[in-house]
Amino acid sequence: MITALLIMLVVLGGSAGDVFITKGMKQLGEISTLHMGRLFGIAGRAITNRYFLIGVLFMAVSYFSFLGALRLADLSLVLPATSISFVITTIGARLFLKEKISPARLAGIVLVCVGVALISMPSQP
Amino acid sequence: MKTATVLIIAIVAQAAGDVFLTKGMKTLTSLETTGGGPSESLSQVLHLALQAMQNPMVWVGTLLLIVFFVLFSAALSWADLSFVLPATAFGYVLNVAAGYYFLNEAVSPRRWAGAVIITLGVLFVSRSGHRTIETPGDELLAARGVE
Repeated sequence: MITALLIMLVVLGGSAGDVFITKGMKQLGEISTLHMGRLFGIAGRAITNRYFLIGVLFMAVSYFSFLGALRLADLSLVLPATSISFVITTIGARLFLKEKISPARLAGIVLVCVGVALISMPSQP
Repeated sequence: MKTATVLIIAIVAQAAGDVFLTKGMKTLTSLETTGGGPSESLSQVLHLALQAMQNPMVWVGTLLLIVFFVLFSAALSWADLSFVLPATAFGYVLNVAAGYYFLNEAVSPRRWAGAVIITLGVLFVSRSGHRTIETPGDELLAARGVE
């Protein structure tokens, strides 16, 4: 039960983190320079951007939940279970970032999710 | 083109970072514990952390993963999250291949199947275009005279 809750935190925290980081980076605007000084300036604005910081915080929640889940359950259960985050993040991107998910993109994401689950399952059942 | 370049470097950095981290962490020696009280496991964690911080492989691995995160975030400044995230999943395929070639890991048929399915998925996603929303500072907006 606690394991399921922690896995949910891993997935939701990771997805929320990605959505917030994207929101923050989109606020900074498209990076289209290779000038070192300017790149450092952009990095400075990124790590002081509110959305970006909230995103990093969610990532940390996800990471520590992952470590917690590993104390209670095997990696062979936790890792495949978290592959659903590809789908959850896509839902978040659609709802909160207004990205348009074409059928081709959705099909690709579902395939990636299935493939990641297969890869992260234990080799010897 | 820019998106492809940035993401390919990001994915390779991530896969290489994972290989270096694995190599480094595998050389660490854990303390033998007989009991398992909380203070003992804490001292074991500290012992491992100290060893890890002195290991050059762990440093290189961590640096490469930072490179990955910086490039991943940079790509998100112009490309869709629902494009960038599944695209970086190709890193799993590289990880399986790297584990097989550089770490001598046994790879089961199921994992190879997973790698093939991910590759197919990434091909689908990459055909869907990388941007469906406009960002500030965008040429599209500039062309329309929007500041």
